Amino acid sequence: MTAGVDTDVVVDPDATRAGIEHVFAMGWSDGLPTLPATDEHVAEFLAHTTRDPDEVIATIPQLGKSATVRHAAVGAAMAGCAPEYFPVVLAAWDALGGEKPAQGGGWQSTSSPSPMLVVNGDIRNRLGFNSTGGVLGPGFRPNATIPRAIGLTISNIFGIRPHVLDQGTQGVPGRWQMCVAEAEEDSPWEPLSVELGHSPGADALSTVMVRTTEFLDNRYYTSAEEVLLDFADSVRRTGSWIMRHSAVGLLLNPEHAWLFADAGYSKQDVRDWLYENAVRTQADLRAVGKEYAVGTGHPDDEVHHVLADSSPASIPIVVAGSRNAAMSAIFRVFTTWSGRVVPIG
Amino acid sequence: MSVIIDPTTLLAENVESTTEAARPASLASLRVGLFENTKRNAAQLLDAIGAQLTAREPSITLVRRTKEQFGLPMSSELADDLRASCDVVIVGVGDCGSCSATAVSDGIALETRSIPTAVVITDIFEANGRAIAALEGSPEFPFIMAPHPVATLDAAQLEERARELVDRILSRLVEPALAGAHA
Repeated sequence: MTAGVDTDVVVDPDATRAGIEHVFAMGWSDGLPTLPATDEHVAEFLAHTTRDPDEVIATIPQLGKSATVRHAAVGAAMAGCAPEYFPVVLAAWDALGGEKPAQGGGWQSTSSPSPMLVVNGDIRNRLGFNSTGGVLGPGFRPNATIPRAIGLTISNIFGIRPHVLDQGTQGVPGRWQMCVAEAEEDSPWEPLSVELGHSPGADALSTVMVRTTEFLDNRYYTSAEEVLLDFADSVRRTGSWIMRHSAVGLLLNPEHAWLFADAGYSKQDVRDWLYENAVRTQADLRAVGKEYAVGTGHPDDEVHHVLADSSPASIPIVVAGSRNAAMSAIFRVFTTWSGRVVPIG
Repeated sequence: MSVIIDPTTLLAENVESTTEAARPASLASLRVGLFENTKRNAAQLLDAIGAQLTAREPSITLVRRTKEQFGLPMSSELADDLRASCDVVIVGVGDCGSCSATAVSDGIALETRSIPTAVVITDIFEANGRAIAALEGSPEFPFIMAPHPVATLDAAQLEERARELVDRILSRLVEPALAGAHA
Protein backbone atom coordinates (compact mmCIF):
# COMPACT_ATOMS: atom_id res chain seq x y z
CA MET A 1 0.00 0.00 0.00
CA THR A 2 1.52 3.31 -1.06
CA ALA A 3 0.50 6.52 0.67
CA GLY A 4 -1.41 8.92 -1.53
CA VAL A 5 -2.15 6.36 -4.23
CA ASP A 6 -5.69 5.33 -5.06
CA THR A 7 -5.49 1.57 -4.74
CA ASP A 8 -9.09 1.06 -5.84
CA VAL A 9 -8.55 2.17 -9.45
CA VAL A 10 -10.32 -0.21 -11.79
CA VAL A 11 -8.44 -1.01 -14.97
CA ASP A 12 -9.18 -3.52 -17.67
CA PRO A 13 -6.13 -5.81 -17.58
CA ASP A 14 -7.06 -7.42 -20.89
CA ALA A 15 -7.21 -4.06 -22.63
CA THR A 16 -3.91 -3.05 -21.04
CA ARG A 17 -2.27 -6.21 -22.28
CA ALA A 18 -3.84 -5.88 -25.72
CA GLY A 19 -2.39 -2.38 -26.12
CA ILE A 20 1.07 -3.51 -25.10
CA GLU A 21 0.92 -6.57 -27.35
CA HIS A 22 -0.08 -4.33 -30.26
CA VAL A 23 3.08 -2.29 -29.75
CA PHE A 24 5.17 -5.47 -29.68
CA ALA A 25 3.44 -6.83 -32.81
CA MET A 26 4.06 -3.59 -34.72
CA GLY A 27 7.77 -3.68 -33.87
CA TRP A 28 7.65 -0.37 -31.98
CA SER A 29 8.97 -1.72 -28.67
CA ASP A 30 12.54 -1.82 -27.41
CA GLY A 31 11.91 -5.35 -26.15
CA LEU A 32 10.19 -4.34 -22.93
CA PRO A 33 6.48 -3.64 -22.52
CA THR A 34 5.91 -0.24 -24.10
CA LEU A 35 2.83 1.95 -23.81
CA PRO A 36 0.63 2.58 -26.83
CA ALA A 37 0.52 6.35 -27.38
CA THR A 38 -2.69 8.15 -28.27
CA ASP A 39 -3.34 11.76 -29.29
CA GLU A 40 -4.91 12.44 -25.89
CA HIS A 41 -1.93 10.95 -24.07
CA VAL A 42 0.56 12.92 -26.17
CA ALA A 43 -1.43 16.13 -25.63
CA GLU A 44 -0.79 15.80 -21.89
CA PHE A 45 2.94 15.94 -22.59
CA LEU A 46 2.65 18.86 -24.99
CA ALA A 47 0.76 20.77 -22.27
CA HIS A 48 3.98 20.79 -20.24
CA THR A 49 5.90 22.91 -22.75
CA THR A 50 5.34 26.20 -24.53
CA ARG A 51 7.37 25.00 -27.49
CA ASP A 52 5.71 24.52 -30.86
CA PRO A 53 4.87 20.84 -31.41
CA ASP A 54 6.34 21.15 -34.90
CA GLU A 55 9.66 22.60 -33.73
CA VAL A 56 12.53 20.37 -34.86
CA ILE A 57 14.48 19.04 -31.88
CA ALA A 58 16.82 16.59 -33.58
CA THR A 59 18.13 16.04 -37.09
CA ILE A 60 20.10 13.10 -38.38
CA PRO A 61 21.59 14.46 -41.59
CA GLN A 62 22.85 11.14 -42.88
CA LEU A 63 19.26 9.86 -42.85
CA GLY A 64 17.79 13.16 -44.01
CA LYS A 65 15.32 13.00 -41.14
CA SER A 66 14.25 15.35 -38.39
CA ALA A 67 12.21 14.80 -35.24
CA THR A 68 9.92 17.39 -33.71
CA VAL A 69 8.68 18.22 -30.23
CA ARG A 70 5.59 16.12 -31.01
CA HIS A 71 7.73 13.12 -31.96
CA ALA A 72 9.65 13.51 -28.70
CA ALA A 73 6.33 13.50 -26.86
CA VAL A 74 5.27 10.28 -28.59
CA GLY A 75 8.56 8.66 -27.53
CA ALA A 76 8.12 9.92 -23.96
CA ALA A 77 4.55 8.63 -23.75
CA MET A 78 5.55 5.21 -25.07
CA ALA A 79 8.53 5.03 -22.68
CA GLY A 80 6.27 5.43 -19.65
CA CYS A 81 7.31 8.96 -18.71
CA ALA A 82 4.91 11.03 -16.65
CA PRO A 83 3.77 14.08 -18.65
CA GLU A 84 5.52 16.45 -16.23
CA TYR A 85 8.88 14.89 -17.20
CA PHE A 86 8.54 16.29 -20.72
CA PRO A 87 10.67 19.43 -20.19
CA VAL A 88 13.49 17.12 -19.08
CA VAL A 89 13.08 15.00 -22.21
CA LEU A 90 13.25 18.12 -24.37
CA ALA A 91 16.33 19.33 -22.49
CA ALA A 92 17.96 15.97 -23.19
CA TRP A 93 17.34 16.46 -26.93
CA ASP A 94 18.68 20.03 -26.68
CA ALA A 95 21.81 18.73 -24.99
CA LEU A 96 22.27 15.90 -27.52
CA GLY A 97 22.09 18.51 -30.29
CA GLY A 98 25.42 19.84 -29.06
CA GLU A 99 27.17 16.48 -28.87
CA LYS A 100 29.25 15.74 -31.93
CA PRO A 101 29.18 11.95 -31.39
CA ALA A 102 25.36 12.06 -31.47
CA GLN A 103 25.44 13.93 -34.80
CA GLY A 104 28.16 12.00 -36.57
CA GLY A 105 26.60 8.58 -36.81
CA GLY A 106 26.98 7.60 -33.14
CA TRP A 107 23.52 6.05 -32.96
CA GLN A 108 24.46 3.71 -35.82
CA SER A 109 27.93 2.96 -34.56
CA THR A 110 29.34 -0.48 -33.89
CA SER A 111 30.44 1.04 -30.54
CA SER A 112 26.77 1.47 -29.63
CA PRO A 113 27.16 4.41 -27.24
CA SER A 114 24.39 5.38 -24.84
CA PRO A 115 23.61 8.88 -23.68
CA MET A 116 24.13 9.30 -19.94
CA LEU A 117 21.87 12.06 -18.66
CA VAL A 118 23.02 14.08 -15.65
CA VAL A 119 20.33 16.13 -13.92
CA ASN A 120 21.04 19.04 -11.60
CA GLY A 121 18.87 21.54 -9.74
CA ASP A 122 15.69 21.51 -7.71
CA ILE A 123 13.83 19.50 -10.34
CA ARG A 124 15.61 16.42 -9.01
CA ASN A 125 13.50 16.57 -5.88
CA ARG A 126 10.30 17.88 -7.50
CA LEU A 127 10.14 14.95 -9.94
CA GLY A 128 11.63 12.30 -7.67
CA PHE A 129 14.89 11.52 -9.44
CA ASN A 130 17.20 9.13 -7.66
CA SER A 131 20.60 10.61 -6.84
CA THR A 132 21.57 8.33 -3.97
CA GLY A 133 21.61 4.55 -3.43
CA GLY A 134 21.46 2.49 -6.61
CA VAL A 135 21.67 5.58 -8.79
CA LEU A 136 22.74 3.60 -11.86
CA GLY A 137 20.19 0.87 -11.19
CA PRO A 138 16.43 0.45 -11.59
CA GLY A 139 13.57 1.54 -9.38
CA PHE A 140 12.92 5.20 -10.14
CA ARG A 141 10.52 6.28 -12.85
CA PRO A 142 12.22 9.47 -14.08
CA ASN A 143 15.69 7.90 -14.14
CA ALA A 144 14.33 4.84 -15.97
CA THR A 145 11.90 6.34 -18.45
CA ILE A 146 13.50 9.61 -19.61
CA PRO A 147 16.53 7.99 -21.31
CA ARG A 148 14.22 5.29 -22.64
CA ALA A 149 12.17 8.03 -24.33
CA ILE A 150 15.28 9.05 -26.26
CA GLY A 151 15.87 5.46 -27.35
CA LEU A 152 12.29 4.88 -28.51
CA THR A 153 12.45 8.07 -30.57
CA ILE A 154 15.75 7.03 -32.15
CA SER A 155 14.34 3.61 -33.08
CA ASN A 156 10.82 4.57 -34.11
CA ILE A 157 11.09 8.07 -35.51
CA PHE A 158 14.53 7.75 -37.07
CA GLY A 159 14.23 4.02 -37.75
CA ILE A 160 17.64 3.24 -36.23
CA ARG A 161 17.04 -0.31 -35.01
CA PRO A 162 19.37 -3.14 -34.04
CA HIS A 163 20.71 -5.28 -36.90
CA VAL A 164 19.74 -2.69 -39.49
CA LEU A 165 20.73 0.95 -39.11
CA ASP A 166 21.94 0.32 -35.55
CA GLN A 167 25.08 -1.75 -36.08
CA GLY A 168 26.07 -2.15 -32.42
CA THR A 169 28.56 -5.02 -32.20
CA GLN A 170 27.62 -6.11 -28.68
CA GLY A 171 25.56 -3.19 -27.49
CA VAL A 172 26.07 -1.55 -24.13
CA PRO A 173 24.41 -2.56 -20.85
CA GLY A 174 22.26 0.33 -19.78
CA ARG A 175 21.74 1.76 -23.24
CA TRP A 176 18.75 4.11 -22.98
CA GLN A 177 18.74 3.55 -19.22
CA MET A 178 21.47 5.86 -17.92
CA CYS A 179 20.15 8.88 -16.11
CA VAL A 180 21.65 10.07 -12.84
CA ALA A 181 20.72 13.02 -10.70
CA GLU A 182 23.66 14.52 -8.86
CA ALA A 183 23.66 14.10 -5.06
CA GLU A 184 24.16 17.83 -4.62
CA GLU A 185 23.20 17.78 -0.94
CA ASP A 186 25.82 15.15 -0.20
CA SER A 187 28.68 16.62 -2.24
CA PRO A 188 31.59 18.68 -0.92
CA TRP A 189 31.81 20.54 -4.23
CA GLU A 190 29.60 22.62 -6.46
CA PRO A 191 27.44 20.54 -8.82
CA LEU A 192 28.44 19.89 -12.45
CA SER A 193 25.89 22.43 -13.71
CA VAL A 194 27.19 25.20 -11.44
CA GLU A 195 30.77 24.41 -12.38
CA LEU A 196 29.75 24.91 -16.02
CA GLY A 197 27.98 28.21 -15.58
CA HIS A 198 24.47 27.64 -14.24
CA SER A 199 23.05 29.07 -11.00
CA PRO A 200 22.85 26.88 -7.90
CA GLY A 201 19.43 25.23 -7.76
CA ALA A 202 18.66 26.01 -11.42
CA ASP A 203 17.30 23.02 -13.32
CA ALA A 204 19.88 21.86 -15.81
CA LEU A 205 20.88 18.76 -17.72
CA SER A 206 23.82 17.41 -19.65
CA THR A 207 24.23 14.37 -21.86
CA VAL A 208 27.46 12.45 -22.22
CA MET A 209 27.74 9.71 -24.83
CA VAL A 210 29.02 6.72 -22.89
CA ARG A 211 30.46 3.37 -23.97
CA THR A 212 30.29 1.71 -20.57
CA THR A 213 30.62 2.21 -16.85
CA GLU A 214 33.19 0.37 -14.72
CA PHE A 215 33.04 0.09 -10.96
CA LEU A 216 35.88 1.14 -8.72
CA ASP A 217 35.65 -0.51 -5.30
CA ASN A 218 38.11 0.98 -2.84
CA ARG A 219 36.54 0.93 0.60
CA TYR A 220 39.52 0.19 2.85
CA TYR A 221 41.69 3.08 1.77
CA THR A 222 44.13 4.81 4.06
CA SER A 223 44.67 7.89 1.91
CA ALA A 224 43.13 9.88 -0.92
CA GLU A 225 46.18 9.19 -3.07
CA GLU A 226 45.61 5.42 -2.93
CA VAL A 227 42.12 5.90 -4.31
CA LEU A 228 43.37 8.30 -6.99
CA LEU A 229 46.00 5.76 -8.03
CA ASP A 230 43.28 3.12 -8.23
CA PHE A 231 41.21 5.42 -10.45
CA ALA A 232 44.18 6.21 -12.67
CA ASP A 233 44.82 2.50 -13.20
CA SER A 234 41.29 2.01 -14.51
CA VAL A 235 41.38 5.17 -16.61
CA ARG A 236 44.60 4.17 -18.39
CA ARG A 237 43.74 0.59 -19.26
CA THR A 238 44.59 -0.18 -22.86
CA GLY A 239 41.46 -2.10 -23.80
CA SER A 240 39.47 1.09 -24.16
CA TRP A 241 42.26 3.02 -25.89
CA ILE A 242 41.37 3.51 -29.55
CA MET A 243 42.03 7.19 -30.26
CA ARG A 244 44.76 9.67 -29.45
CA HIS A 245 42.72 10.91 -26.48
CA SER A 246 39.33 10.20 -25.02
CA ALA A 247 37.30 11.68 -22.20
CA VAL A 248 36.58 9.68 -19.04
CA GLY A 249 34.02 10.71 -16.41
CA LEU A 250 33.96 9.98 -12.71
CA LEU A 251 30.79 9.11 -10.88
CA LEU A 252 32.02 9.55 -7.32
CA ASN A 253 30.05 8.23 -4.42
CA PRO A 254 29.89 10.84 -1.63
CA GLU A 255 32.42 9.02 0.56
CA HIS A 256 35.14 9.14 -2.10
CA ALA A 257 34.25 12.76 -2.89
CA TRP A 258 34.57 13.75 0.77
CA LEU A 259 37.80 11.76 1.12
CA PHE A 260 39.32 13.89 -1.64
CA ALA A 261 37.80 17.13 -0.34
CA ASP A 262 38.93 16.50 3.25
CA ALA A 263 42.44 15.83 1.95
CA GLY A 264 42.36 19.28 0.38
CA TYR A 265 41.54 18.36 -3.21
CA SER A 266 39.19 20.53 -5.22
CA LYS A 267 37.44 18.93 -8.18
CA GLN A 268 40.03 20.56 -10.41
CA ASP A 269 42.82 19.11 -8.27
CA VAL A 270 41.36 15.62 -8.80
CA ARG A 271 41.20 16.25 -12.55
CA ASP A 272 44.76 17.59 -12.67
CA TRP A 273 46.00 14.56 -10.74
CA LEU A 274 44.25 12.11 -13.05
CA TYR A 275 45.39 13.90 -16.17
CA GLU A 276 49.01 13.66 -15.03
CA ASN A 277 48.85 10.05 -13.87
CA ALA A 278 46.60 8.36 -16.42
CA VAL A 279 49.39 7.66 -18.90
CA ARG A 280 50.86 4.80 -20.90
CA THR A 281 54.21 4.48 -22.59
CA GLN A 282 54.75 3.93 -26.28
CA ALA A 283 56.05 0.45 -25.44
CA ASP A 284 52.86 -0.37 -23.49
CA LEU A 285 50.69 0.57 -26.45
CA ARG A 286 52.90 -1.24 -28.96
CA ALA A 287 52.74 -4.42 -26.88
CA VAL A 288 48.94 -4.52 -27.25
CA GLY A 289 48.87 -3.49 -30.90
CA LYS A 290 47.54 -0.01 -30.18
CA GLU A 291 50.44 2.08 -31.38
CA TYR A 292 48.23 3.40 -34.17
CA ALA A 293 46.31 5.44 -31.60
CA VAL A 294 49.29 7.67 -30.84
CA GLY A 295 51.41 7.24 -33.95
CA THR A 296 54.59 5.28 -34.49
CA GLY A 297 58.12 6.58 -34.12
CA HIS A 298 58.06 7.80 -30.53
CA PRO A 299 60.68 6.52 -28.06
CA ASP A 300 59.65 3.44 -26.09
CA ASP A 301 59.53 5.31 -22.80
CA GLU A 302 57.56 8.31 -24.07
CA VAL A 303 54.37 8.68 -22.06
CA HIS A 304 50.98 9.37 -23.62
CA HIS A 305 48.06 10.86 -21.73
CA VAL A 306 44.66 9.18 -22.01
CA LEU A 307 42.98 12.53 -21.47
CA ALA A 308 43.45 15.48 -23.81
CA ASP A 309 43.64 17.91 -20.88
CA SER A 310 42.27 18.34 -17.35
CA SER A 311 39.17 20.34 -18.27
CA PRO A 312 35.66 19.45 -17.02
CA ALA A 313 34.83 18.34 -20.56
CA SER A 314 37.68 15.83 -20.57
CA ILE A 315 37.03 14.62 -17.00
CA PRO A 316 33.46 15.35 -15.94
CA ILE A 317 32.97 14.63 -12.23
CA VAL A 318 29.51 13.92 -10.82
CA VAL A 319 28.78 12.96 -7.21
CA ALA A 320 26.03 10.36 -6.88
CA GLY A 321 25.23 7.21 -4.96
CA SER A 322 25.00 6.21 -1.33
CA ARG A 323 27.60 6.76 1.36
CA ASN A 324 27.13 3.15 2.46
CA ALA A 325 30.36 1.88 0.84
CA ALA A 326 33.24 3.60 -0.87
CA MET A 327 32.46 2.52 -4.40
CA SER A 328 32.52 4.78 -7.40
CA ALA A 329 32.42 4.33 -11.15
CA ILE A 330 34.15 5.67 -14.18
CA PHE A 331 32.19 6.17 -17.35
CA ARG A 332 33.94 5.77 -20.67
CA VAL A 333 33.02 8.60 -22.99
CA PHE A 334 32.49 7.79 -26.67
CA THR A 335 35.13 10.10 -28.20
CA THR A 336 34.56 13.50 -26.57
CA TRP A 337 32.11 15.43 -24.42
CA SER A 338 31.17 19.01 -25.27
CA GLY A 339 31.20 20.21 -21.66
CA ARG A 340 27.76 21.75 -22.28
CA VAL A 341 25.00 21.85 -19.71
CA VAL A 342 21.58 23.07 -20.89
CA PRO A 343 18.71 24.57 -18.90
CA ILE A 344 15.57 22.49 -18.34
CA GLY A 345 12.33 24.22 -19.30
CA MET B 1 -12.04 4.61 -28.35
CA SER B 2 -8.64 6.19 -28.99
CA VAL B 3 -6.44 5.37 -31.93
CA ILE B 4 -2.93 4.15 -31.19
CA ILE B 5 -0.34 6.41 -32.81
CA ASP B 6 2.03 4.83 -35.30
CA PRO B 7 5.38 6.34 -34.21
CA THR B 8 7.14 5.29 -37.41
CA THR B 9 5.24 7.62 -39.73
CA LEU B 10 8.40 9.48 -40.72
CA LEU B 11 9.72 6.28 -42.22
CA ALA B 12 6.71 6.03 -44.49
CA GLU B 13 7.33 9.41 -46.08
CA ASN B 14 7.43 9.17 -49.83
CA VAL B 15 11.00 9.49 -50.92
CA GLU B 16 11.62 10.54 -54.48
CA SER B 17 13.10 7.65 -56.34
CA THR B 18 16.59 8.32 -57.56
CA THR B 19 18.07 7.72 -60.97
CA GLU B 20 21.30 6.07 -61.97
CA ALA B 21 23.89 7.97 -63.92
CA ALA B 22 24.43 6.90 -67.52
CA ARG B 23 27.46 4.61 -67.87
CA PRO B 24 30.35 5.15 -70.26
CA ALA B 25 31.25 2.42 -72.78
CA SER B 26 34.69 2.08 -71.24
CA LEU B 27 37.03 3.84 -68.82
CA ALA B 28 39.41 4.86 -71.62
CA SER B 29 40.80 8.34 -70.99
CA LEU B 30 38.41 8.91 -68.06
CA ARG B 31 39.19 10.46 -64.68
CA VAL B 32 38.55 7.81 -62.03
CA GLY B 33 37.88 9.19 -58.53
CA LEU B 34 39.17 7.26 -55.52
CA PHE B 35 37.02 8.71 -52.75
CA GLU B 36 38.31 7.34 -49.44
CA ASN B 37 36.62 7.89 -46.09
CA THR B 38 39.70 7.82 -43.77
CA LYS B 39 38.84 4.41 -42.35
CA ARG B 40 41.83 2.19 -41.75
CA ASN B 41 43.06 0.70 -45.08
CA ALA B 42 40.37 2.51 -47.08
CA ALA B 43 42.84 4.67 -49.03
CA GLN B 44 45.17 1.69 -49.43
CA LEU B 45 42.42 -0.55 -50.84
CA LEU B 46 41.20 2.13 -53.23
CA ASP B 47 44.80 2.76 -54.33
CA ALA B 48 45.24 -0.95 -55.01
CA ILE B 49 42.01 -0.98 -57.00
CA GLY B 50 43.21 2.10 -58.90
CA ALA B 51 46.45 0.31 -59.75
CA GLN B 52 44.54 -2.70 -61.08
CA LEU B 53 42.34 -0.48 -63.22
CA THR B 54 45.39 1.39 -64.53
CA ALA B 55 47.02 -1.92 -65.50
CA ARG B 56 43.97 -2.73 -67.59
CA GLU B 57 43.44 0.75 -69.00
CA PRO B 58 46.60 2.89 -68.89
CA SER B 59 44.80 5.97 -70.26
CA ILE B 60 42.81 6.58 -67.08
CA THR B 61 43.73 9.31 -64.62
CA LEU B 62 43.33 8.59 -60.91
CA VAL B 63 41.90 11.42 -58.80
CA ARG B 64 42.17 11.05 -55.02
CA ARG B 65 39.78 12.71 -52.64
CA THR B 66 39.25 12.28 -48.89
CA LYS B 67 35.98 12.56 -47.04
CA GLU B 68 35.81 15.06 -44.17
CA GLN B 69 33.92 12.91 -41.65
CA PHE B 70 33.29 9.26 -42.32
CA GLY B 71 30.08 9.13 -40.27
CA LEU B 72 28.36 11.94 -42.12
CA PRO B 73 27.36 12.33 -45.75
CA MET B 74 29.90 14.20 -47.87
CA SER B 75 29.46 17.96 -48.00
CA SER B 76 27.84 19.48 -51.07
CA GLU B 77 31.15 21.26 -51.75
CA LEU B 78 32.92 17.91 -51.92
CA ALA B 79 30.15 16.48 -54.10
CA ASP B 80 30.55 19.42 -56.49
CA ASP B 81 34.31 18.96 -56.47
CA LEU B 82 33.94 15.25 -57.30
CA ARG B 83 31.57 16.09 -60.11
CA ALA B 84 33.98 18.64 -61.55
CA SER B 85 37.10 16.49 -61.13
CA CYS B 86 35.94 12.94 -61.95
CA ASP B 87 34.05 11.06 -64.63
CA VAL B 88 33.40 8.04 -62.38
CA VAL B 89 33.97 7.60 -58.64
CA ILE B 90 34.84 4.63 -56.45
CA VAL B 91 33.56 5.20 -52.91
CA GLY B 92 34.75 3.36 -49.83
CA VAL B 93 35.37 1.64 -47.62
CA GLY B 94 32.18 1.38 -45.60
CA ASP B 95 33.24 -0.92 -42.79
CA CYS B 96 31.36 0.46 -39.77
CA GLY B 97 27.81 1.22 -38.73
CA SER B 98 27.76 4.85 -39.74
CA CYS B 99 30.29 4.86 -42.59
CA SER B 100 28.76 1.92 -44.47
CA ALA B 101 25.45 3.81 -44.48
CA THR B 102 26.99 7.10 -45.61
CA ALA B 103 29.09 5.38 -48.30
CA VAL B 104 25.84 4.15 -49.84
CA SER B 105 24.13 7.53 -49.48
CA ASP B 106 27.16 9.31 -50.97
CA GLY B 107 27.03 6.90 -53.92
CA ILE B 108 23.34 7.60 -54.47
CA ALA B 109 23.98 11.35 -54.19
CA LEU B 110 26.72 11.16 -56.84
CA GLU B 111 24.51 9.09 -59.15
CA THR B 112 21.85 11.81 -58.97
CA ARG B 113 24.61 14.26 -60.02
CA SER B 114 25.17 12.04 -63.08
CA ILE B 115 28.40 10.53 -61.79
CA PRO B 116 28.61 6.72 -62.14
CA THR B 117 29.81 5.21 -58.87
CA ALA B 118 31.03 1.94 -57.45
CA VAL B 119 30.42 1.90 -53.69
CA VAL B 120 32.48 -0.58 -51.67
CA ILE B 121 31.30 -1.69 -48.22
CA THR B 122 32.19 -4.80 -46.25
CA ASP B 123 29.71 -7.67 -46.47
CA ILE B 124 28.78 -7.71 -42.77
CA PHE B 125 27.03 -4.36 -43.30
CA GLU B 126 24.77 -5.53 -46.13
CA ALA B 127 21.51 -5.06 -44.16
CA ASN B 128 22.62 -1.60 -43.13
CA GLY B 129 23.48 -0.63 -46.70
CA ARG B 130 20.18 -2.01 -47.96
CA ALA B 131 18.22 -0.07 -45.29
CA ILE B 132 19.87 3.24 -46.12
CA ALA B 133 19.40 2.63 -49.85
CA ALA B 134 15.67 2.15 -49.23
CA LEU B 135 15.53 5.32 -47.13
CA GLU B 136 17.24 7.19 -49.96
CA GLY B 137 14.60 6.01 -52.43
CA SER B 138 16.82 3.53 -54.22
CA PRO B 139 16.15 0.17 -52.55
CA GLU B 140 17.89 -1.83 -55.27
CA PHE B 141 20.99 0.39 -55.35
CA PRO B 142 23.87 -1.94 -56.23
CA PHE B 143 26.84 -1.69 -53.89
CA ILE B 144 29.87 -3.91 -53.95
CA MET B 145 30.59 -6.05 -50.93
CA ALA B 146 34.12 -6.90 -49.91
CA PRO B 147 34.66 -9.67 -47.36
CA HIS B 148 34.83 -8.19 -43.85
CA PRO B 149 37.22 -7.06 -42.42
CA VAL B 150 39.40 -4.80 -44.54
CA ALA B 151 41.00 -2.86 -41.66
CA THR B 152 43.30 -5.69 -40.57
CA LEU B 153 44.68 -6.67 -44.00
CA ASP B 154 48.37 -6.24 -44.79
CA ALA B 155 49.66 -4.86 -48.09
CA ALA B 156 49.73 -8.23 -49.87
CA GLN B 157 46.22 -9.06 -48.67
CA LEU B 158 44.96 -5.67 -49.82
CA GLU B 159 46.43 -6.34 -53.24
CA GLU B 160 44.64 -9.68 -53.34
CA ARG B 161 41.37 -8.11 -52.16
CA ALA B 162 41.65 -5.46 -54.89
CA ARG B 163 42.17 -8.20 -57.49
CA GLU B 164 39.01 -9.94 -56.28
CA LEU B 165 36.97 -6.73 -56.48
CA VAL B 166 38.18 -5.12 -59.68
CA ASP B 167 35.92 -6.97 -62.12
CA ARG B 168 32.83 -6.13 -60.10
CA ILE B 169 33.89 -2.50 -59.81
CA LEU B 170 34.49 -2.26 -63.52
CA SER B 171 31.12 -3.87 -64.26
CA ARG B 172 29.46 -1.34 -62.04
CA LEU B 173 31.16 1.66 -63.69
CA VAL B 174 30.70 0.94 -67.38
CA GLU B 175 27.84 -0.18 -69.63
CA PRO B 176 26.92 -3.68 -68.46
CA ALA B 177 27.16 -5.28 -71.92
CA LEU B 178 30.65 -3.93 -72.41
CA ALA B 179 32.11 -4.68 -69.01
CA GLY B 180 34.80 -7.30 -69.24
CA ALA B 181 35.23 -6.72 -72.96
CA HIS B 182 36.95 -3.41 -72.40
CA ALA B 183 38.46 -1.70 -69.43
